[in-house]
Amino acid sequence: MSSRQRNGLILLIVAGLIAASAVVIAIRPTVLGLDLKGGIELVYRATGTPQNPKVTPATLSEAVQAMDKRVNQLGVSQPSIQTQGSDNIDVQLPNVSNVQQAERQVGNTTRLAFYDWEANVLVPPTGGAKPQFAAQGLATQDSGSLTISQGGGLAPGQSSTTAGAIGLYQAAKLASQQPARISAQGNSRKGPEYFLFGKPGSSACAAFAAAHGTKPVPGVHCLITGGTEGPVQAIGESVHSAVYSGLTPAEIKGTQLLTVPQGWVVVQGAPASFAHPLSTWDPTAGYYVLRDDAALFGSEITNPQESTDQSGAPAVSFGFSGRGANAFQSVTAEIAKRGSLASIGSQPINEHFATVLGTQILSVPQIDWKQYPDGINGAQGAQISGGFTVSSADELASYLRLGSLPVNLTQISNTTVSASLGAQALHQGLIAGIVGLGIVVLFLLAYYRLLGVIAVAGLVAYGIYFFALIKLIPVTLTLAGMAGLVLTIGVAADANIVIFERVKEEIRAGRSIRNGIIEGYKKGLSAIIDANVVTIMTAFILFVLATQDVKGFAFTLGIGTFVSLFTAVMATQAILLTLGNSKTLARPSALGAGRKHHVWRVDFMGASRYFFTLSGVILLVGAFAIGGRGLNLGIDFTSGTQISVGLNHPASVGQVRSLMSSIGEGDARVQAVTGDKALGPYGFQIASKYLSQTTFDQLRSDLSSRFGIRTNTVGNQDLNRNSVGPTFGATVEHSAVIAIIVSLLLITVYVTLRFDWKFAVPVLIALAHDLLISVGVYALTGRVVTTDTVAALLTILGYSMYDTIIVFDRVRENTRRMPNAAFSQIVNRSMSEVLTRSLATTACTLLPVVALLIFGGTTLKDFAFALLVGVASGAYSSIFIASPVLTHWKEREHGFRLRRERIIAEHGFVPAYAAGAGSDVDPERAAAGAGAGKRRRAATRLSEPSPEGVSAAEFEQMKRELGLEEEAAAAAGAGRGSGSTRGAAAGRGSSGTGPTAGRGSSAARSQNARSEPARSETARSAPGRSQPAAPGPAGRPGPAQPAGPAEESADFQHASDATSDDVVMPDQPRPRGGARQPRNKKHGRR
Amino acid sequence: MGVLAWAMVGLAIWHFTIWMPDRHWGGIVGALIGAIVGAVLIGLAIHGFSIPGRHNTHLITTVEGIPGALIGIAVVYVVGDRRERARAAEA
Repeated sequence: MSSRQRNGLILLIVAGLIAASAVVIAIRPTVLGLDLKGGIELVYRATGTPQNPKVTPATLSEAVQAMDKRVNQLGVSQPSIQTQGSDNIDVQLPNVSNVQQAERQVGNTTRLAFYDWEANVLVPPTGGAKPQFAAQGLATQDSGSLTISQGGGLAPGQSSTTAGAIGLYQAAKLASQQPARISAQGNSRKGPEYFLFGKPGSSACAAFAAAHGTKPVPGVHCLITGGTEGPVQAIGESVHSAVYSGLTPAEIKGTQLLTVPQGWVVVQGAPASFAHPLSTWDPTAGYYVLRDDAALFGSEITNPQESTDQSGAPAVSFGFSGRGANAFQSVTAEIAKRGSLASIGSQPINEHFATVLGTQILSVPQIDWKQYPDGINGAQGAQISGGFTVSSADELASYLRLGSLPVNLTQISNTTVSASLGAQALHQGLIAGIVGLGIVVLFLLAYYRLLGVIAVAGLVAYGIYFFALIKLIPVTLTLAGMAGLVLTIGVAADANIVIFERVKEEIRAGRSIRNGIIEGYKKGLSAIIDANVVTIMTAFILFVLATQDVKGFAFTLGIGTFVSLFTAVMATQAILLTLGNSKTLARPSALGAGRKHHVWRVDFMGASRYFFTLSGVILLVGAFAIGGRGLNLGIDFTSGTQISVGLNHPASVGQVRSLMSSIGEGDARVQAVTGDKALGPYGFQIASKYLSQTTFDQLRSDLSSRFGIRTNTVGNQDLNRNSVGPTFGATVEHSAVIAIIVSLLLITVYVTLRFDWKFAVPVLIALAHDLLISVGVYALTGRVVTTDTVAALLTILGYSMYDTIIVFDRVRENTRRMPNAAFSQIVNRSMSEVLTRSLATTACTLLPVVALLIFGGTTLKDFAFALLVGVASGAYSSIFIASPVLTHWKEREHGFRLRRERIIAEHGFVPAYAAGAGSDVDPERAAAGAGAGKRRRAATRLSEPSPEGVSAAEFEQMKRELGLEEEAAAAAGAGRGSGSTRGAAAGRGSSGTGPTAGRGSSAARSQNARSEPARSETARSAPGRSQPAAPGPAGRPGPAQPAGPAEESADFQHASDATSDDVVMPDQPRPRGGARQPRNKKHGRR
Repeated sequence: MGVLAWAMVGLAIWHFTIWMPDRHWGGIVGALIGAIVGAVLIGLAIHGFSIPGRHNTHLITTVEGIPGALIGIAVVYVVGDRRERARAAEA
């Protein structure tokens, strides 16, 4: 396939993909995340159960499936339930109409359990007696045991003292006095459970009652911890923080902590009627203490349905699984056997089994030992009856149908986003994206003109593909994802800039436009691939390890980088090459590759000490800011609740604060929000310590009744909530640290493989520099650090690497090209070559980031600020930190040390830029030449290379490698000076007819001064002989010219491998009008 | 947070080693390791080998990292200088 056909095919593919993308964009909906369309996000931490002590990927996946079934029953469209890390589950429910129901249903881990009642229920002791199980007491006709077993006038297990039940405090105290009884099969709960009680009449009870809008019951201990949600377990946190969280020291004084060990449960007696059940953990209800040794669990029942019992009353019937049926028959047989034994010598007694849902007894049916002496055959199923209404029976059946979860779940974060706030965020994000794209387009057009048009075409194609992919996969578009999208606009433009700068260099070096494009893409590609691989690796690590918010960001960043590789490399190359044959690109100036207006001649390495000092001062200030001010960590890390609410009626900050005080949150920070369209004229932001669901519901109800809460178009209240439990911050922190460590390791391995391990260390130092400067700026400015900040900081890792890799790629290339130069000279030259590109790419990335900062919403602004600091610091460190460190380290190597010593011996110091013969070769051609020694000798005639084959500089290089100049010089006579030798060579060059002939002659003049080390030594030892004459016109024979940048003209162009550096001899007089060679003081030290 | 402050002050002070002769053991990277390890170790030693938390990190905590960083750099420099002298003597 010819080159033209290939380009045509690529353009056809590009056009086809654009058409296909347009179709996808038109027909597929965009999946918006919660932060853009509203909804709730619940994050749960999974912990083991006695049956599944460890949380494994399999159990987590099973839990997700069960939760998915529950969510489907809610009728939520486009829900998202995903595992996060090793033990978290993230549930996102967009546009839910009943937030409370969703929260109650999705993560409910309540399990159905069947207990042998008399064998496990503990009879409260009377007097100094020891507590015993009812089954033991029945054998001795103990009255307490008889009451608990036979009900004392009520059904056994019913919530009444007449059925043997006791108060909550007494039950918890009795349970706390028992030794742990750990059973992997029978325990329904893993680990101890903590009950914090307030003493009757204590300030703790009064404060608790006031906060929950209840009245303390006189003479009764009140349960404080967990409020009406019951006791707590310390999962992933200290017992103290789990139990006493939210209590003042004064309130803690009037409390008593009871610890119920594993193997015991406090259960609430069954209500007389489920039509009017007492609330869970109601202090006035009756409780029992059960040994937690269940015969079977709800996971072993099948097909639960609402039905009726023999009397026609509502009931719940179900079948058993194979194992469940056996276990059921076995336990009922045991109960029947015990009942028959207990009946010997007394009136007949039937014993019971209990069905318990969570900590609520549902029923305690008896087993008639006469009717079922061998137990009840589980194959026929069973029925739970007693006190149900039709709806409560149906609710229980529905719940059982959803299946139990194989793990315990604790909610660690709860975020509610109102739909209108989401819509506003989407609008702001779109504006920021459009403005960002527009600025980059303007920049590219202004800076690159025609190339800019092609780059913009590539960007447009990129934008279309990217948006189509987002819809096709589909990727849930979040605010963080939009930030990633805006950043990838910069990355996509970067790739174009890297290549375009390279193309311009190649064309300036004397290649034809077509060859310049081909070579530019070829040489630029390795740098782009290296840089993009690192970005993709970072994005991948973020995606795997980070929290859900960050995942969206990482995913869009990863996809965007992939797509930009295609559009910036393949598509733009095809366009350029197609245009390369046309008149549009007939002249190099059309590509901006005419005369180079500015050549960087800065002694970067010499100046590095000043930049190091500057960085040191910035870091020192940052370090003192960290120590003095610290980081302002958001609730993602410190735990707490943040609420944004729009009220219907006017309210003052004081009124809202007093409302917060009335629910026990007097410490809450209340701020009025003005100018927020979504919140309206009476918007407020409230930040408090972590609010439990009950307290939050209370607050919502109070706000609604006193001031009214704005409702959105779908009728939901405009109330944003972000509640983060104490363990969530630790999870975020942990995942960020892991992500940073893994990223750094991968980056190190990759840089070591692609470059050299010594290149990896400066990269890591530069990354540490960027991260710490960003952290320091956050400490200094006092901006809130959120999970978004962490995501942005992690992204900085990838971006900073991108820039550094581009610089190092050129250093690597120049190291091979400059076999005699000191490393500082190699780096100086590399930096001067890539600085324009670095500045352009940094501008291209910073411009959209600034657009985000100005036009984005609150979240995007958080991202943008961190990115702004990180990207600026990354660009700075890649030039002024990473490269100098590399230079210092590499110059300690034996080879470079010798080079430096030689240069100092010759010149008295190390010039900032390499000078002299032999400083620059094309390594590939040199290697090829070395391997083809026989052919070199066999060559007798040099013909003009094909214009499409090599550049003028390479043509001259080939001549040197073939040794033809020496032969010509020898033929011309040993007594002739080098000037005549060069003249002969140049004369041959000028006789060519191709477009490179003239440039070849010029290049020949400049190249001759550095043909081989031996010759350069001669030249240095006899400087008088190498004194140059004034430059002659192109194509004319003439002596070697010292070509400083000021002497460059449109018709005198250096090859990429023949810059002015190489022909300026340190012992030659300074060229007229040329800049003085900057002296590298550092490296010039003897 | 204390470790962050110490490491940061170590990194900051290391930047100024650019003004010193390059005789550190392991070069500029050796100096970096010396500065950070020194800052953290001395900081830890001052605090009885416990890390100051977020609420216990103050301005003085950062200052505590400075002597460690200087000692670390000095140690690396002395070792490097001795090695270079020994190498020169051998040569």
